[in-house]
Amino acid sequence: MVGQRKWNRRIAAFVFLLPALIGLAAFQLLPMASSVIISFSDWDLLSKWTQIHFIGWDNYADVFKDDKSYTSIKNIFIFLIGYMPFITVLGTFFAVLLNRNIRGIKFYRAAVFVPVITSWVAVSIVWRWLLNGQSGLVNYLLSLVGIQGPIWLQDDFWAMVAIIAVTVWKDIGFVSIILLAGLQDISDDYYEAADLDGASAWRKLWQITIPLLSPTLFFVVTISLINSFQLFDQVLIMTNGGPAGATSTIVEQVYRNAFQFNKMGFAAAQSWVLFVIIFSVTMVMQWLQRRWVVYER
Amino acid sequence: MLKKSGITMLLIIMVFLSACGSNNGNNAESSAPASSSSPSESASASPSESPSASKEPVTIKALMYTPNGGQEETMKAMVDAFQAANTDVTVDVEVVPYADYETKLNTLLASGSAPDIFEVGYENFRKYAEKDLLLDLNPSIEADASFDPGIYKKLAYDAFNYNGKQMGVTESFSDVVLYYNKDLFDAKGLAYPDASWTWKEELEAAQKLTDAKAGVWGTYAPIQFYEFYKTIGQNGGGVWDAGGKPTINSPANVEALQWMIDKASKYKVSPALNDDTFNQPDADLNAFVAGKIAMVRFGIWNFGRFKDAPFKWDIALEPGNTQKAHHFFADGLTASKTTKHADAVWRFLKFYTSDPAAVSKRIEAGWSVPAVADDAVMEAYYKQTPPESKKIVTEALDSLVLPPVGPKPEMWGEFTGAVGEELDKAKFGKSTAQEALDAAQKKVEELLSK
Amino acid sequence: MRGRAWMIKNGMIHLFLLAASVTLLFPFVWMVSGGFKDSLEVVKMPPQLLPSHWNFDNFRQIEQFFPLYRFLLNSVGVAVATTVLQLLVCAMAAYVFAKIAFKGNQAVFMLFLTTMMIPAQVTMVPLFILFAQTNLIDTYAGLILPGIFSAYGIFLLRQNIMTIPNELLEAAFMDGASYYRVFGSVILPLIKPTLAALTIFAFMSSWNSFLWPLIVTNSKELMTLPLGLSKLQGKWSTEWNLLMAGNVISFLPIFGVYLFAQRYFIKGMTMTGIK
Repeated sequence: MVGQRKWNRRIAAFVFLLPALIGLAAFQLLPMASSVIISFSDWDLLSKWTQIHFIGWDNYADVFKDDKSYTSIKNIFIFLIGYMPFITVLGTFFAVLLNRNIRGIKFYRAAVFVPVITSWVAVSIVWRWLLNGQSGLVNYLLSLVGIQGPIWLQDDFWAMVAIIAVTVWKDIGFVSIILLAGLQDISDDYYEAADLDGASAWRKLWQITIPLLSPTLFFVVTISLINSFQLFDQVLIMTNGGPAGATSTIVEQVYRNAFQFNKMGFAAAQSWVLFVIIFSVTMVMQWLQRRWVVYER
Repeated sequence: MLKKSGITMLLIIMVFLSACGSNNGNNAESSAPASSSSPSESASASPSESPSASKEPVTIKALMYTPNGGQEETMKAMVDAFQAANTDVTVDVEVVPYADYETKLNTLLASGSAPDIFEVGYENFRKYAEKDLLLDLNPSIEADASFDPGIYKKLAYDAFNYNGKQMGVTESFSDVVLYYNKDLFDAKGLAYPDASWTWKEELEAAQKLTDAKAGVWGTYAPIQFYEFYKTIGQNGGGVWDAGGKPTINSPANVEALQWMIDKASKYKVSPALNDDTFNQPDADLNAFVAGKIAMVRFGIWNFGRFKDAPFKWDIALEPGNTQKAHHFFADGLTASKTTKHADAVWRFLKFYTSDPAAVSKRIEAGWSVPAVADDAVMEAYYKQTPPESKKIVTEALDSLVLPPVGPKPEMWGEFTGAVGEELDKAKFGKSTAQEALDAAQKKVEELLSK
Repeated sequence: MRGRAWMIKNGMIHLFLLAASVTLLFPFVWMVSGGFKDSLEVVKMPPQLLPSHWNFDNFRQIEQFFPLYRFLLNSVGVAVATTVLQLLVCAMAAYVFAKIAFKGNQAVFMLFLTTMMIPAQVTMVPLFILFAQTNLIDTYAGLILPGIFSAYGIFLLRQNIMTIPNELLEAAFMDGASYYRVFGSVILPLIKPTLAALTIFAFMSSWNSFLWPLIVTNSKELMTLPLGLSKLQGKWSTEWNLLMAGNVISFLPIFGVYLFAQRYFIKGMTMTGIK
């Protein structure tokens, strides 16, 4: 009987997992493995794949010699410096407010998420228009209060500011809703106990909300880091990596090298360097989480 | 070591691939070897085939970008005309916007599913030819008794000749000329620009025409790579020397770049370089229509845009400094080396680029200028006005500069990107003309040494 | 016992949330309004919030540019098929990872997660070769298949299924239910809200996907909306009224799906109990 049940379980596990396993193996792991192989070749994406020619570690050596790779990594870190504080602090603030049981809260919750569901292609075009100097609304509004708006997307400083601001605009809803979910998991008992002790709102925030929200915060930070390192769509449409490489990013370089400069092998090597960066960052986050995060119960 | 293990891995993946597609893998496998052996087959088969009246119906695939943006119907009409005259051939055309064109084409080439025919510009043509991806059309040309290369403008036809092999046919060409607003010239009582003008005359006129208060500028040209290589040509400079060595920071080039910048920053006859307005795409075109620019360099593909402009305008040859120089762009059709239908492909290339039935449709739609030599055909083009002086379009070809593709055609994209970045820096005042070109020279030398 | 302090605080919260909502939603208002303006009004200074008259010319012009309805239909079909299949495949896999212990469970799960860390731009070409070898180019299957398998979806659903008490499942087994029965009549009903959340994500990523449909389709009969809209950009890079009209067309359907699913959505995100 017991043996029968064990077999049933194995068969069930196999049946349930099979579609996902086949799909992930064929459509994700296999292409990933192929890209490792490509990264050791000088494939130009013009000759047929069967004529691929291997050159050892040269592409990886070139990645570390390539100025543009460094620039793009540097830009990502500049992006993170602007983006992460906003997304975490503002996101937490939004989530705390959205957690209130007030009238119209359903509308507010629905509204913050609208930018998240739309495509980067569409919103990038809308923002390119809003930030346009000739007919853009942003500089018009600035001119009403007597400020001469910058050349947003063509200035090597303001272009990055614009990219950060627009990305915060698009992602803040996602972060807030995830954090809201985390907040709703915190039992009211803690707050009631604190109220009995006469704790201030500020103290409650730091002593209860933040520590108990920390697992969700870590999740949000990790996901945001993974996404930030792959920053691409908005850059391609809004600035095309310019001006003079000021908003160039790693994936933008990968795309350019692969499809415009015919250096697929080099692009694959760049991707795997990126993979190592993201993987390390994720591992570090996991490690930090284990050390710092407070778990309920 | 690594090479061997890499190939082993690849083999494993190939086995996996064919296992995955076992249900319809038969199809894939039977067509794959056939395509690799096809060029020789079809090349030898086609001449003997062509005289026979009844041919097996074939479908050829084509990938294009020029019809995107409003001329797909014209292209379809041209293809229909071809199919009416060649009932055995069906042409299946896919149109992809230019921004995504290379991504799509390269992926198709890489996977071995290249279309029979694909469109390329001159600067990319050299890259594909060098990589041996294009069908040599010479056998088809020699076998085709009715074909005479003289029907094309020689220059445009030869642009698609690579090391003696004709590997494509020019379908259309375009150049860039000086547009001017006659009303603004008349208001100041100035003579219109003519072939004798140099930068000096242009500047003098521009200074009189500029009216900062009314927002009217005397002259305008963007500062970017394409404008740069032409402008240095007008000053006797160039990007490469005869031996294919980069000469980007030569004195003539620095002087030309300085002139491009000075028009705005020193003489103030062009919009300020940090003026957002003029850095937006199409801003210059809109400004010309609004009567805010007196002289401007535009491609001839913009004629239609100014048809209803509320002022009189015309075109002239561009003023040069020490000599004249004009842009020349050519788009052509090429065939994939792996096509199985060399004969049908050749018939289509010839028809689409030169047959009066096709060419006249291109002209009627005001699409672009066919590269045919026949004056009767061109007469129809010249007759479409404005501009009055439409023959300037052909005259400009006497002093053309080709895109400076250089010794490594496959690096064109990287090369233009690198120089463009430095020009940006000079434009926004982050570096001087000399510094920018020194930096560009260094970057290009590095690229070539790879 | 609602005092003055409470009123002020409540008012501040409303004020802030309202300001935030306006900032987040305004670009969409501007987009819709721009899509109905004519080419002169759209660049008028000072700008006007709403068009002086709502004209549909922009949409008619787009219609002439590519087969709008065909592309729209393809997009809807592909997105619906992808979403349904993704929900099913992910829920099945998530069930195993959450509740059916087997050797290597954790390792396989981690492997799935690493697929999120490599840019799609570089795996796209090998994937295309695979599809070319299996004759899936220019087919609906070619459009749909790669979107079905989502590590993120499995992750989301696994988190939720883990919170289902084991006792509940044991009780079902006691009643003689099979694993398949438990999945269908216990697990799925319980994770409905999270499935609603995943519906939005799955639909969204299929609806907005551009690069893959670009290379995998050749014939007009199969192309999706983003491909059509990209044709507008090169030609009309500053004709904002037409670009905005295109954006409106692509925004409304996904917005509809969102409105439909969002009732369950917040609840669904909460139930994942992400930690």
